[in-house]
Amino acid sequence: MSAPATGGPLDAFLRVEGLARSFNGVPAVRDVSFTVGAGEIHALCGHNGAGKSTVVKMLSGQLAPDGGRVVVEGAVVEPNSRRAAQRMGVALVDQELSVVPALTVLENMLLGDVTAPFVNRRRAAAARCRRILDDMGLAHIDPDQPLAALGIGERQLVEIAKALSQDARLVILDEPTATLSDAETEHVFAAIRRVAGMGCSVIFVSHRLSEVLELCASVTVLRDGRSVATIPTEDLTVDELIVRMLGSAPHRLSGTRGPDRGDGRAMRIEHLHVPGRLVDFTLTATAGRVHALAGQLGSGASDALRALAGLQPQATGTVELNDRRVPLRHPARAARAGIAFVSNDRKSEGLFLGMSVERNLLATRLPGLARAGVVRPRRERRAALSLAQRSGLPEYRLDAEVLALSGGNQQKVFVGRCLGRDDVHVLLLDEPTRGVDVGGRAEIHRLLREAADRGLVVIFASTELDELLELGDVIITMRDGQVVGRYEGEVDGALLMRDMTHEADGT
Amino acid sequence: MIRSRLSRPDRLMPTVSLGLVLVAFLCTPLVSGKPLALFDLYNALQGFAQLGLLALAIGITMIAGEFDLSVVGTYALGGMLAVEFGQTSPVLGVLVAMVAGAAVGMSQGGLIAWLRIPSMPVTLATYIALLGLTYAISGGLSTTYPNGDATLWVDQTIAGIFSPRSLLTLAAFLSAALLLGFTRLGRELRAIGGDRRASRVAGVGVERRLVGLFTASGTLAGLGGALLSYSFASANPDPGLQPLILAAVGALLGGVSLAGGRGTPTGLLAGTLSVALLAQIVAVTAIPDYSTQLLYAALLAVIVAIESPGLRHVLPPRWSRNRQADLPTPAGTREAAGRP
Repeated sequence: MSAPATGGPLDAFLRVEGLARSFNGVPAVRDVSFTVGAGEIHALCGHNGAGKSTVVKMLSGQLAPDGGRVVVEGAVVEPNSRRAAQRMGVALVDQELSVVPALTVLENMLLGDVTAPFVNRRRAAAARCRRILDDMGLAHIDPDQPLAALGIGERQLVEIAKALSQDARLVILDEPTATLSDAETEHVFAAIRRVAGMGCSVIFVSHRLSEVLELCASVTVLRDGRSVATIPTEDLTVDELIVRMLGSAPHRLSGTRGPDRGDGRAMRIEHLHVPGRLVDFTLTATAGRVHALAGQLGSGASDALRALAGLQPQATGTVELNDRRVPLRHPARAARAGIAFVSNDRKSEGLFLGMSVERNLLATRLPGLARAGVVRPRRERRAALSLAQRSGLPEYRLDAEVLALSGGNQQKVFVGRCLGRDDVHVLLLDEPTRGVDVGGRAEIHRLLREAADRGLVVIFASTELDELLELGDVIITMRDGQVVGRYEGEVDGALLMRDMTHEADGT
Repeated sequence: MIRSRLSRPDRLMPTVSLGLVLVAFLCTPLVSGKPLALFDLYNALQGFAQLGLLALAIGITMIAGEFDLSVVGTYALGGMLAVEFGQTSPVLGVLVAMVAGAAVGMSQGGLIAWLRIPSMPVTLATYIALLGLTYAISGGLSTTYPNGDATLWVDQTIAGIFSPRSLLTLAAFLSAALLLGFTRLGRELRAIGGDRRASRVAGVGVERRLVGLFTASGTLAGLGGALLSYSFASANPDPGLQPLILAAVGALLGGVSLAGGRGTPTGLLAGTLSVALLAQIVAVTAIPDYSTQLLYAALLAVIVAIESPGLRHVLPPRWSRNRQADLPTPAGTREAAGRP
């Protein structure tokens, strides 16, 4: 691997001063300042919730700051839209894939490019696109191919190629390599170095800390919405960076977890495989214990849960629950086998937002409340009251629309729906407390612990160190679709972080 | 070449639908016992002219993932305004109809784009309001258009098969094809329909494009209504829902996706011609009128089945090159880990 670009005495191209932004009164970014030189590759690092993505959104014109200022080449700028930011020379690779499958590769390259002419010059654009694709190691892709025909990794590469080819003065890449293979990442790095060599500044946001040290000249560390340090990467190791990111690293002592009851009930997962996402995932999850899958974006943790819930159409492997085979690739059959899944996207894959709390809580158990297909209201109400009590939801909210609830209460409804059912033996939860406040989070943790105590197999995936350490009896760390380590008892948060973010090459 | 062309639904569907209907049209002498005449083609193109601008108006909004139900209301209002204002100067009548359509479209586009209200309720409400307004202007009665010269002019035969009305409609399709095919507007429209969030992040001015789109849709519907009134020498305050349904059928046959992100004006042209030719086949062969509806339904069923993902999944891989791409993407796999 080649050496990182050196920091050097660069002219400051971008100066971010005291940037701040809140959402509904909750500060996401409190005070962020850093400087990026012309031609410098600068990293933004921080644990989840540190404010990286909000800073990126403010710099790329997607969010207006509440305070602070952005100075480009000595002049204060206020980009109020993506288009305005583009005119200032800011290109972006968003953390969510932002290419359009309905268009061809070439059309995606040109989409939104302020320098593209109004009237298409197809031949020139296609030749340029061909060159850019070749540089990115995508010689096999035809510019006229529909993007829908490409895999996720190739779509990501097309988006990166597009940003790097816009002759921008500042390119921001937010988690660009999360879904890429090592070979693909190498092509991306070469392209980033090339544009930086031409004087373009680059902001690189990544959880993959070894990549940050390999590629970037300096790194600004964010913690709790504040920039705590800007350090040249040549003076830094991954472990030091992790310590900077976490402050005092969370730590769990041994003996705080209950022992395995060993009553034989378990979910056995062998060689679970999802092409391009999960490799040979094997785990025996015993009933009564909470199993945590610790992994960042693209680690495969989320994919493992989705495969177990039957939501990965290409999944292969063997899954047995209490010695009975569970079919893969069929969500309804997985549910019949006793698997309940709480998605990380409760709004589109979980709740009926326009319906009442009661309806949502009972949505998966209507047959048990009905006689001859007709639901009996009194029985329905009784069941709802009991579930609400168990889930920690106030009775008087039963008739309220779920949409009107806070994120925490919405999540309680989602989790509560899976509780108290004799036919559920396994509870799978993907990011169970995403977007939930501290109080709601404790309640949800209590629900999961109770579910395990009642003899359910509980497996959850999370990126939050605190949550992993607090809730997981067994913690399985994952990266790049593979299991990295398994921890029980005493666990050091920094160790988990290292597993989740860094190549196991001893650096 | 042919295979690559047919691998894309926005090309496959209009090609197949127009191909099937053309073959059926050429075979009509076998049923009717009379050879095809130029007049049959003229009639088919007149039917196309009646429907075309409406199909184009709806089709372009569908490409952007919206659905403009109000076009029939604008169609009725445009026709009524043209009759009211175009008695001495037909051009003025057409202009008034187009300006009114543009104003209606622009207001709707503003509501949909800036206030982020879904197009269905907005355009449904507008449709009802416009019908009410048209009733109010006409007193609820059909209004006669006394300018006989204009009526004769719009439908006079040109080169045996065309009329000024059908040529104007073809010109509208041609302009749309040039504008969307050769400028950045085409890809932006499909991008907005395909993935609005991604389009915004890419830097597309989504709101402005939507306002412009609905303005264009309203203008086309107003023009269509005006030309129809001149042709019929009267304006009807309520054209019913048949034109809307046929226009939507034309758009779907033309390869436009209801989900947005797919379709071209040339596809729309082929789809609308298919609908018009089918109506002419029924007329020439003198089969009962109700067969028209059954034929539309059958053709739509064939076309929709051809591109159904379910069918492609059961076909061998060499027949379904995009099979991998149809697999659902797991939610949240690209979501922020550290979103506030």
